[in-house]
Amino acid sequence: MSAIGTLARVPAATFELANVILTAADAPIGQTPREVVWTHRGTTLYRYRSDVRQHPVPVLLVFALINRPDIFDLRPGSSFVEFLLGEGFDVFLVDWGVPDEEDADTGLAELVCDELHWAVRETLRAAGEEELTLLGWCMGGTLCAMYCALHPVGAVRNAVLLTTPIDPSNSLYKKWVGHDQFDVDLIADRYRVIPGSGIDWANKLMKPVTNYVTTYRRLFQSILDGSDPRVSFQAMAKWVADNPPYPSRAYREWITWMYKENRLVAGRLRLREQRVDLRRIEQNLLVVTASADHISPPEGTVPILDLVSSEDVTHLDRPGGHIGLIAGSKAKREIWPELADWLLERSGR
Amino acid sequence: MADSTSHSPNVQVSELYEQAESQTAEAFEQLVSKPSFGVLLARSAENVAALTRIGSDVADLVLRNLRLAGRADVTRLARQLHRTEDKLERLLQEVEQLRDELPRTPSTHKPRAPSARRARAQSVRGSRAQSVRESRGNGTDSPMPTGTPS
Repeated sequence: MSAIGTLARVPAATFELANVILTAADAPIGQTPREVVWTHRGTTLYRYRSDVRQHPVPVLLVFALINRPDIFDLRPGSSFVEFLLGEGFDVFLVDWGVPDEEDADTGLAELVCDELHWAVRETLRAAGEEELTLLGWCMGGTLCAMYCALHPVGAVRNAVLLTTPIDPSNSLYKKWVGHDQFDVDLIADRYRVIPGSGIDWANKLMKPVTNYVTTYRRLFQSILDGSDPRVSFQAMAKWVADNPPYPSRAYREWITWMYKENRLVAGRLRLREQRVDLRRIEQNLLVVTASADHISPPEGTVPILDLVSSEDVTHLDRPGGHIGLIAGSKAKREIWPELADWLLERSGR
Repeated sequence: MADSTSHSPNVQVSELYEQAESQTAEAFEQLVSKPSFGVLLARSAENVAALTRIGSDVADLVLRNLRLAGRADVTRLARQLHRTEDKLERLLQEVEQLRDELPRTPSTHKPRAPSARRARAQSVRGSRAQSVRESRGNGTDSPMPTGTPS
């Protein structure tokens, strides 16, 4: 296109850009039909039914407290849940809900020993099975690892950890909140729930130009080039902007235990007087890392490979970012089939 | 032809901009990874937290003096509800565990009414849960597993 032609398209493209950004909040996400299986406080266990269920072992999806678990089911045609259902898995999802001030006393022990434990129990009851696959992403993976360490034998047959922080000693978060001058107690005492927008702002600040400039410049460029990025951009933008608050106790414990004291990898983390020792993990384990992950870099995840007692351990390191690896446009062709293959081999009776 | 396109002013400007953006991004990423930036961030977070708390306390004080329920009152009530829900959840688990332990007699093969737990989830979740109950009955695919993870 000539320079004059490009310039002539700029006003229309600018108008379209504004429309795409301003209407992102209306984009439909999480469209796959689901049923409520169980609720407790703000936590809800959902079930997605497969029309072609082939594998008896159900998959229980667990996401982080930051952002909502809709990323597992972003939009039709680009939904990990939809993909798993198509592969014949019975899929369940733990939704931590949207905490408010009354949830200030929810800590890691409540999340792992109560909510997750009960969700596992309810999943088995609903599926009529005795074992399941626990699939955690980001902090959800860390919670799953803690759960597996506390329950090495029993309900969980397979554990899948996607871009999961285990040893964050070299992460940027550690530089920001791991030093003594960051008074986590002051923040946690003053906020009963940490505003999600604050955490989102900090996350975006890790790559400020990429998040605040490049994303929109690329969007504008693609509109100018005549492509239609509306559907894909809006779904992801809506998910990124949906930041639930973070219970202050969970925030205090996460920052202190993971970033200030690095207890998990050292085997010094205790939940309800029980030591969370990753060496006790015996489940079949799949660890997925993304080589360009700046939130949970691979070097912060791989220590778990040397710690666990599992005989069946697989590590996949693939190009991509923290979220893009699993929810990006290439995921359906690249990482999802690999995950399904791994699960398929381990989900029979 | 392709060569002349790749060197057109359009492309050159675009490449230059992308280069500048990439270098700026790198510079900012280095900046935010400095320890001093971490300290700045910590101080900023503390200041914002303090200001927010002051604003919140003032608002609560005004509402209280007007004899209106403030956020703190709503939170207190919600916490009481949570405690009740916690007790109910544990009670339901005990009941279900006891039911699972009962010997399977012929009467257990009769269709069961939706469990108290499911009924509660349905009442919370409204019409969607209602349709689940209608289509699925007790919600399990097969008889309860004899062993529970707990």
